[in-house]
Amino acid sequence: MSPDDWILDIQNLFIDYRTKRGNLHAVHDASLRIRPGESVAVIGESGCGKTTLAASIVKMLPLNADIRSGSITYKPRKGKSVSIHSSSEQTMRTLRWSEIVMMFQASQSSFNPVTKIYTQFLDTARAHRMKLTSQQVLKRSRELLELVYLNGDAVLNSYPHELSGGMKQRTLIALSLLLDPQLIILDEPTTALDLITQKRILLLLNSLRKSHNFSMIFITHDLGIVTQLADRVVTMYAGAVVEDSPSSEFFADPKHPYSVGLLRAIPKLNAAFEHLYSIPGSTPDLVRRIDGCLFSPRCEHSHDRCLREVPQLRSVGGHRLAACHLYEEVTV
Amino acid sequence: MQKDMLVFAAKKLMKVVFTVWVVTTLIFFLIRLMPSNPIERYIQNLVVQYGMTYEEASSRASSLFALDLEASLFVQYIDYLSSAVRLDFGTSFLSPGVQVTQIIAARLPWTLFTVGMGLVLSFIIGIVLGALAAYRRESWYEPLISGTSSFLSAVPDFLIAIFLILLFGVFTWGGRGSIIPIFQLRGTYGPGVTPGWNAPFIRSVIGHGFVPILTYFFSQIGIWVLLMKGSTSGCLNSDYAQIARARGLRPAKILKSYIGRNAMLPIATEFAMRLGFIIGGSLIIEQLFVYQGLGLELLNATSNRDYPLMQAIFLVMTIAIVLSNLFAELLYGVLDPRIRHGGGKQDG
Ligand SMILES: Nc1ncnc2c1ncn2[C@@H]1O[C@H](COP(=O)(O)OP(=O)(O)OP(=O)(O)O)[C@@H](O)[C@H]1O
Ligand SMILES: [Mg+2]
Repeated sequence: MSPDDWILDIQNLFIDYRTKRGNLHAVHDASLRIRPGESVAVIGESGCGKTTLAASIVKMLPLNADIRSGSITYKPRKGKSVSIHSSSEQTMRTLRWSEIVMMFQASQSSFNPVTKIYTQFLDTARAHRMKLTSQQVLKRSRELLELVYLNGDAVLNSYPHELSGGMKQRTLIALSLLLDPQLIILDEPTTALDLITQKRILLLLNSLRKSHNFSMIFITHDLGIVTQLADRVVTMYAGAVVEDSPSSEFFADPKHPYSVGLLRAIPKLNAAFEHLYSIPGSTPDLVRRIDGCLFSPRCEHSHDRCLREVPQLRSVGGHRLAACHLYEEVTV
Repeated sequence: MQKDMLVFAAKKLMKVVFTVWVVTTLIFFLIRLMPSNPIERYIQNLVVQYGMTYEEASSRASSLFALDLEASLFVQYIDYLSSAVRLDFGTSFLSPGVQVTQIIAARLPWTLFTVGMGLVLSFIIGIVLGALAAYRRESWYEPLISGTSSFLSAVPDFLIAIFLILLFGVFTWGGRGSIIPIFQLRGTYGPGVTPGWNAPFIRSVIGHGFVPILTYFFSQIGIWVLLMKGSTSGCLNSDYAQIARARGLRPAKILKSYIGRNAMLPIATEFAMRLGFIIGGSLIIEQLFVYQGLGLELLNATSNRDYPLMQAIFLVMTIAIVLSNLFAELLYGVLDPRIRHGGGKQDG
């Protein structure tokens, strides 16, 4: 696997929401590349466009959202690349779950409450014309459920309300592996669960990633989880990707001043409460965007150029990218 | 498990019996507490009109109503209850000698036919339109469906009836007569036909029932549309509908098995409850169309103080409502596994 090998490539993506105040630029010049088998964490303050970016990958944006420009390209394991930004709903339907799994935020009621779990496994297999009989699908479902430490038969014959939150989450993970996807996107998958269950589920996913060979994008606010799970960390600010670094380097030496702020804001166990750091200022208005770097009003390093010119995401050495005027472009 | 179900069914049945008993008792005493006691009035009538003595009249009344008027109220009550259990409600006061049950049996089918048809048709068309309005939120016809429904649900049913009578039976269109001859807007069937399974009779029944059914249809469709629209919108935005789409299910499948099935839960229950109101829900409309159903009969019975008949009709209405409530509860249990299993969450 070469570092240039990729399965998903997002280039200069712009997504607007039509709102009463005008167009809200939720994703603004975001670029991101996912390589086979890797696990990428997307972090950033609430409202910076993480969910919007993730939803655009399976084209399940809210009705008032428009992809303004940019491209999203997906490379299946077999067959030609797909331009997701210009694909029809029919094409997307066949890609969803069989190639790209999207698990939405707070999916505590992800299952149809009136049918048993096995029906929902069968529905999924049938929607993608799996070349298996119902018996074979159920056998495979049972195996997958056992992989996530559940009693396959019992769960398949349960109604969703008979499962606990953690069980439902693991059932959804088992279901997500049914069609052998190449990419799994998790939008804060575990926020509704207690800390220990959260961690167990994410570690489980990570080991499944290695055995089942899929890539993973997960959106989270928990930087502790990021250190354990992510190969790469992508920082978003006001709709743009501002830093993209391998996980170990990111935590040792964050490049973008915003990343630095995020890391400083992690509560230290020995720090008194009043010393809790938070980045000064507030998140910018996404309807009326200012000129120059959007982070500049909150940045201690901000200078003239930052107010005039929007910094582009570029290589800052190694496999690291950052969008900040502090760093000169490093040409490899 | 088995035992649980039996206990559950027994409890429900007890509740039904208890409710019916309470209502029966209330009716019995209320009628006797009414300022002008109908039996007393009947007796007075006999005395004044036929010059009977009070004793003669009284004994005649008691034989007619199978009541011992000398007996205490309590004994009368026990008598009444025991005959009610045997479905013996005595004879009508208006048409002496005719069993009350006979009258009800003759009137009930007409009401069931018209109100029932109106309910079923408005239900079916209403949920289709409601689901459509929710699913096609952005379309040009959504405001049309929703607006008309809100309007219809706010208009009293007798106004709809009057409007339809004018529209079909009174207005003349371009020199020709009205759409439906006005005499067809009265009664249950025309004078010339013999009741039975023959074409002229059936045609006459449909001709006479059409506008009343249409009235019941329009007076209820608005509510079904609005209920279904609300409940479908809720399900459209649900997590499971979104995940179903993310799972690549076909839109038709999601609409049917995920959204439709869940949206129908509260609606189906409401429908089951309304079945019980079929019998009582027709008083004014049947009067307007002089449609000889149970509602009109109750109206006649009330204005003439035909109290055995009144009592029996009230009882039939009560039983219908209580049974439909029971049906609604059971139906919800069948449709929604969360109710069936007691709704508890099991952690594991
Ligand atoms: N349907 C919508 N209509 C209008 N604006 C929206 C809509 N959904 C999101 N937004 C706006 O778009 C921006 C990005 O939202 P998004 O949900 O992508 O943020 P996020 O990074 O996922 O936040 P969080 O961490 O809170 O989940 C926010 O400013 C939000 O207010
Ligand atoms: Mg989000």
